[in-house]
Amino acid sequence: MHELGVASEVLRVCRASAGSGCARLERVTLAVGELSAVEPDLLRFAWEAATAGSPDAGAVLEIEWRPARQVCEACGDIAERATGSWLRLCPRCERPLRVEGGQELDVLHLSYEERETPADRLP
Amino acid sequence: MTELDVRQRVLAANEAAAAALRERFRARRTLVVNLISSPGSGKTTLLEATVAHLKDRFRLGAIEGDIATERDAERLRRLGIPAHQILTGGSCHLDARQVAAVIDPAGLGDLDLLLVENVGNLICPTSYDLGEDFKVVVLSVTEGEDKPFKYPAIFARAEVCVVSKMDLLPHVPFKLDEVRGQVRTLRPDGTLLEVSATTGAGIGAWCDLLTARLAAKRAGA
Repeated sequence: MHELGVASEVLRVCRASAGSGCARLERVTLAVGELSAVEPDLLRFAWEAATAGSPDAGAVLEIEWRPARQVCEACGDIAERATGSWLRLCPRCERPLRVEGGQELDVLHLSYEERETPADRLP
Repeated sequence: MTELDVRQRVLAANEAAAAALRERFRARRTLVVNLISSPGSGKTTLLEATVAHLKDRFRLGAIEGDIATERDAERLRRLGIPAHQILTGGSCHLDARQVAAVIDPAGLGDLDLLLVENVGNLICPTSYDLGEDFKVVVLSVTEGEDKPFKYPAIFARAEVCVVSKMDLLPHVPFKLDEVRGQVRTLRPDGTLLEVSATTGAGIGAWCDLLTARLAAKRAGA
């Protein structure tokens, strides 16, 4: 259960990227790979815990799931597979497959509400 | 509302610390392996056998990650090598900053081979680069043969898979061929070694692998 640590890092990256003009985070989009060792549901739960009681409480965490790909060494095809199931050989040419991708754990995008600056308050 | 494209690794801070460690180990020509497994797979026993086999030829050291107790580091210190216990106090993995903080105080700054035994856990340690040359996943024959597909992230990332407690194979319903197939599926270019630290079977091949990797690192490969 390292998702709480991961959620804290997501928050840190977002806050550092948004800078001091950020009043509150509104929405954060993450890429989470199938081989990232991070469980999306646990991460959403941890995100709530990491932001609770802060101005960012209630910020939406949107997760884009990135499956790993099994690519045939021989024909270059990406074998079709369901998440969590793994093929031993290429369905077309029965040659070994290599595993690519699925290791993503990235903050892609965020939106935030800006802090009111003194200039905003001028009549 | 302000929109911002970020495109940054979530664990960028850990990865920067790991990169600094990797550079330091490269300069010192220290081979670093990060051992990951579930609790009780025999990581410490494997390391004891490794130390017994290699300590006369190389300067060895170890970092032991555990939630509590100094027991694992004590076991290795008894064999005459420097070993430092990092107590994570409930955290499920080691991170690069924890490793960086203990290298000098623990006298682990000038070694040929640094063995890092992560906290017993097949999931969380997978995400944290420690500046190692490669990860080793240890799977004992007393665990289920479905482990690789259940925990694909670590089996895909570990360059070496050690199947341990091979002396117990006749007594358990562990399907070795199934494990070989699953590991090969997730890591086709990986190496699978079958060992028993109790009988010593396979320990020579494991130590040969470490020795060859150390030689390659010294040669600047």
